[in-house]
Amino acid sequence: MSFKDIIVAEFRFVYADVFRRKAILFMFITYPYMLTAFVLLIGYSMGSASVFMERVGIDPAIFFIVAGFTLMAILGVGDDLLWRPLFDEWMGTLPYVMASPVSRIQHYLAIPIPRLILVLISGSTSVVPVLVYYYGLQGLFEGLAVIIMAGIASLMFVTLVMAIMGIVYGMGGENWRIINVLRPLFLILVGAYYPRYLMPLAGRIASWFIPSSHVIEAIHRMIAGLGGPIDILMLLGIATALFILYAPPGVKSIIYWEKSKMREGVNV
Amino acid sequence: MKITGVVDLGVAIEARNLKKTYHTKKRKGLFRSETDVVEALRGVSFKVRHGEVVGLLGPNGAGKTTTVKILATLLIPNDGEAYVEGYSVTREAVEVRKRIGLLLTVEKGFYGKLTGRENLEYFGALYGLSSGELRERIVYLMKLLELDKLGAVDKLYEEYSLGMKARLGLARALLKDPPVLLLDEPTLGLDPPSARKIRGLVRELAKQGKAILYTTHNMFEAEIVCDRILLINKGVIVVEGTPQELKAKLPKLRTINILLRNGSPESLRKIVLEAGFKPDVETTSEGLLQVKVSVQNPEDVLGDLVKAIVGKGYDIVTLRISEPTLEDVFIYFSQTGG
Repeated sequence: MSFKDIIVAEFRFVYADVFRRKAILFMFITYPYMLTAFVLLIGYSMGSASVFMERVGIDPAIFFIVAGFTLMAILGVGDDLLWRPLFDEWMGTLPYVMASPVSRIQHYLAIPIPRLILVLISGSTSVVPVLVYYYGLQGLFEGLAVIIMAGIASLMFVTLVMAIMGIVYGMGGENWRIINVLRPLFLILVGAYYPRYLMPLAGRIASWFIPSSHVIEAIHRMIAGLGGPIDILMLLGIATALFILYAPPGVKSIIYWEKSKMREGVNV
Repeated sequence: MKITGVVDLGVAIEARNLKKTYHTKKRKGLFRSETDVVEALRGVSFKVRHGEVVGLLGPNGAGKTTTVKILATLLIPNDGEAYVEGYSVTREAVEVRKRIGLLLTVEKGFYGKLTGRENLEYFGALYGLSSGELRERIVYLMKLLELDKLGAVDKLYEEYSLGMKARLGLARALLKDPPVLLLDEPTLGLDPPSARKIRGLVRELAKQGKAILYTTHNMFEAEIVCDRILLINKGVIVVEGTPQELKAKLPKLRTINILLRNGSPESLRKIVLEAGFKPDVETTSEGLLQVKVSVQNPEDVLGDLVKAIVGKGYDIVTLRISEPTLEDVFIYFSQTGG
């Protein structure tokens, strides 16, 4: 069985689920707008757009629509991977998934891809129109570049999340609840809403170890016009290096989870 | 595509001295916890041949599901080894997974927001079937299990009845046409037509050469479905054989069953005891007294028993000598541990 077959199976699963749950589809399209509106409302009530532009270097409306979209893509990948074992356990499907001859690693690599593609397509309803409104034709290209880079940022997250997922579930019992703490931490440290250069030193160091945070910094630099292609490529290079660095622990972690699950018994 | 499989009397499943112990941590306050140790299997060995349905029978917690999970590569035993089609369940799990069809419970195990067809397509892809093969196989299985007649093919799984869920579960187990089927209580809680359909199909599949391990609590079902029965209790197989062989292993083979019209249960029990028999006396819902006496050769003692009862003024309504049921075997060996 090829990796393509597994992806097709996951497409089937995600799309049937998303298109039958209209609320999820609605969320896909509106989430970046809702978050942007929410943050801007708070921002305008407590500060001014000019101060924000001075500190961050980007118009707040652009910054937050890009941040909302990018974060939705990255966290979508994280959530798909982190919650899937638990979801399968709740549905009673885990034994049948585990008793299938499919490679566990390939399966978990395939799991986030369908939803990620949906999110990236939804960028045409959020990031692209806003950037076109502000920058015209150049905004269209920037919007497409943001979509591509958000896709890269999300994929760069996969090996780190696999490493965490395997350990958290491999520990067994209720340890999966750690995810509830990790998720908001990632939300901050990835730097989409809170640019890395504004973080305290500890936050900056922690953020540096998340591959996606470098891609997000590259996106910020691109839309703010800070730094040239070399800087952006360097950031993408660091992200790729970290992605590769986390791959072996990611694989081992998934195997550890599978083995520990088989020791305690896969429940229906 | 049809269910295929060459009739082969070779061994398809072999368990050798399987042992499994569960360690469960229980919290006892904020910083203390205790570990419960449960010996689920204490040396289980058996074989299942192609074309054979072997029933795994036992009370709750006997180790039936643990055995099935080990064979399905979902649980690693502490000791012992098991083979499916010659492949080790611990060392060659992927090869084993290619050769088994699994049904663990009929209540769940599918995605609620997907239809029956979509669920089968999903699992079929995970099982390595190509899309063309899968389409053909789904149509065939939906027809075989009459899910098409029930209008369940394109219905969301969350809207399925229990009977439909069971049928879909069996359809998944048969998706890749595996030579070995592991079915854990496949008719539990089902309506009679669905249960009958599944039993009939299991027999049909065995005829086509599949090796089937079938766990159930239902004695009637075990008797009609299984070629051989393994009675498991407290993690050990206490007795095995065909249903007839198992009945023959009961030390007291047959039961004299007498219904009486008048008298009290206590005095009747006393009379039968004095006559030298160990009776089981109870009052039926119709207000009659029922005496059951289990003996090896009822014909030899029937005269003495009847004489003792009638002599004390009791009125016999009916008298019947019954063969032991599988339920008697189950209760006897579950209580005595073999």
